Amino acid sequence: MSKQIAVKVDDLTVAYNYKPVLWDIDLEIPEGVLMAIVGPNGAGKSTLIKSILGILKPIAGSVSIYDKPYEKQRQLVAYVPQKGSVDWDFPTTALDVVMMGTYGSLGWIKRPGQKQKKAALEALEKVGMLPFKGRQISQLSGGQQQRIFLARALVQNASIYFMDEPFQGVDATTEIAIINILKELRKAGKTVIVVHHDLQTVPEYFDWVTFLNVKKIATGPVKDIFNDDNLTKTYGINYKVSIQE
Amino acid sequence: MSSAQIEIQLIASLVAIACAIPGTFLVLRKMAMISDAISHSILPGIVVGFFITQDLNSPLLILLAALTGIITVVLVEYIQKTGLVKEDTAIGLVFPILFSIGVIMIAKNANDVHLDVDAVLLGELAFAPFDRLIVSGIDVGPKSLWIIGSILIITIGLLFAFFKELKISTFDAGLAASLGFSPAVIHYGLMSVSSITTVGAFDAVGAILVVALMISPAATAYLLTNNLKRMLIYAICFGVFSAISGYWLAHWLDASISGSITTMLGLLFLAVYLFAPNKGVIAVMYREKQQRTEVSLLTFLLHLKNHTEERERHVNHLNEHINWQKVRSKTVLDLALKNNMIKFDKNIVSLTEKGEDFTSQAIDYIITNEDAQIEDMKDDFFLFRG
Ligand SMILES: Nc1ncnc2c1ncn2[C@@H]1O[C@H](COP(=O)(O)OP(=O)(O)OP(=O)(O)O)[C@@H](O)[C@H]1O
Ligand SMILES: [Mg+2]
Repeated sequence: MSKQIAVKVDDLTVAYNYKPVLWDIDLEIPEGVLMAIVGPNGAGKSTLIKSILGILKPIAGSVSIYDKPYEKQRQLVAYVPQKGSVDWDFPTTALDVVMMGTYGSLGWIKRPGQKQKKAALEALEKVGMLPFKGRQISQLSGGQQQRIFLARALVQNASIYFMDEPFQGVDATTEIAIINILKELRKAGKTVIVVHHDLQTVPEYFDWVTFLNVKKIATGPVKDIFNDDNLTKTYGINYKVSIQE
Repeated sequence: MSSAQIEIQLIASLVAIACAIPGTFLVLRKMAMISDAISHSILPGIVVGFFITQDLNSPLLILLAALTGIITVVLVEYIQKTGLVKEDTAIGLVFPILFSIGVIMIAKNANDVHLDVDAVLLGELAFAPFDRLIVSGIDVGPKSLWIIGSILIITIGLLFAFFKELKISTFDAGLAASLGFSPAVIHYGLMSVSSITTVGAFDAVGAILVVALMISPAATAYLLTNNLKRMLIYAICFGVFSAISGYWLAHWLDASISGSITTMLGLLFLAVYLFAPNKGVIAVMYREKQQRTEVSLLTFLLHLKNHTEERERHVNHLNEHINWQKVRSKTVLDLALKNNMIKFDKNIVSLTEKGEDFTSQAIDYIITNEDAQIEDMKDDFFLFRG
């Protein structure tokens, strides 16, 4: 394959309190894929994303984004954290949360202005949340909160998107709306990496997959490696998933 | 008012503002207890600083004591990181020890140190005007006014410069880190400001009032608004209001100023807790009652919509059929009539056009949860306000 490598992870080991939760991960994610990271609870999926984004400091190994360290490439990367990682009672509105996506391009001290507000409104429109722009975030449903997070990532206008369980607690309509936006991103040549729990939908939604459980089990095109063998290795029990063509 | 009285109120107000700003972020970060820890553990810093400078208002003493505050935070985090104890336990382990070290240091040197534990905990605002700052022979005001004024100016400057960074790292530390706004830098920045404010204020108002002035106005403001900027402004107003009214309460009762200000803070919180328009206890109770009535109304309208036969819509029949007590039925009927949703025709009830529309719209909303179409109904009906 002649495709460029968007994200490269080398010998990454990450520990909490000296107890490694990711062991020696090697990973290459080619540009332009829509990739699922799958693995059981506690497998280290969120930890992997946080380490790639410099939120956690690994005890060994390195990460590069288009051949440069993450710190030099922040502008190319957008992040949707797991929904439960923030306090939804925080005194702020949907629009304000989406505006936070623009803070990275502003840098320290500079304040967001009209341009940033316009971008945020456009992103809200795209995820169908414009009518809720002034709503306090605790008064949004779980699916609406997830859409707000997605809008915040869209406003970053990045090349690579990392999303930690964007489908968590959303209904079928929202799930389809979100996956359509992700597919649109891929069509525009972006790389999208999604932590995903619903194994049934992996072949339908994604073209690339990484199996993770403390160690990397496998990574590659869904059609080549999404099989019972890898699922069993990852989840430890005998997994059977029917793969539609 | 004498000039001393004005000076005391001015000092108390500036302290209140300087505390409310970091306090708002401490409350939002669920770190209220950290301010308690800092306020006590600065004692050894103050004592050591006092040995060196012999002046409670020296900037060196303030920095030394603030450093003890930061050490407290670092120690708490270190103990917590071992994973052996939770954060509150770590706080409970660290600050009493540091505080006790301070107490012992004072006791061992009681003869040559003019410093006592009571003064540190409770302060004495009433004496603040007596310690004057004299610059080349000219009296420019109480020293504590200058100290807290300088701290306040720095705090406001930092708030304006780093408002966006404070907001994002408080709301979503992960995103802040991924965007390059180091949450650690902001965290320690906030801790430093809190420590310096605590030290700068304790001499005037005492360690306990500092904690109250940091946490209470912010907690009160939190009940009143969903906007961070407004929360800051409200917290500042509540702090200043309590400072001034507390001063007069003390004057009137001939009691401790610090104690009276803290009492006012508590009363203010209680009042807002009860009467806040949205989150207040009474508003919540009223809303729940209203929602119950509206659900009944909807049930009633739906019944009318679903039954065309007159027998089902006779006034007498409705009581037994929907199975409500008389009072309830009357409230619901009145509400429906008042809103022109039903009409009577020889004791037969039927829906008006408006009633029909309302019912279908409401059912639509309940099924789809599509908010956009019922925005205009929110003003009249609690049911739709989520
Ligand atoms: N802050 C933390 N301190 C200590 N241990 C942690 C911390 N965060 C995660 N862990 C541990 O690290 C391991 C990996 O956690 P991680 O959140 O990466 O899992 P995950 O694959 O994202 O799981 P899930 O599907 O539940 O989101 C788990 O065993 C978890 O208990
Ligand atoms: Mg996770």
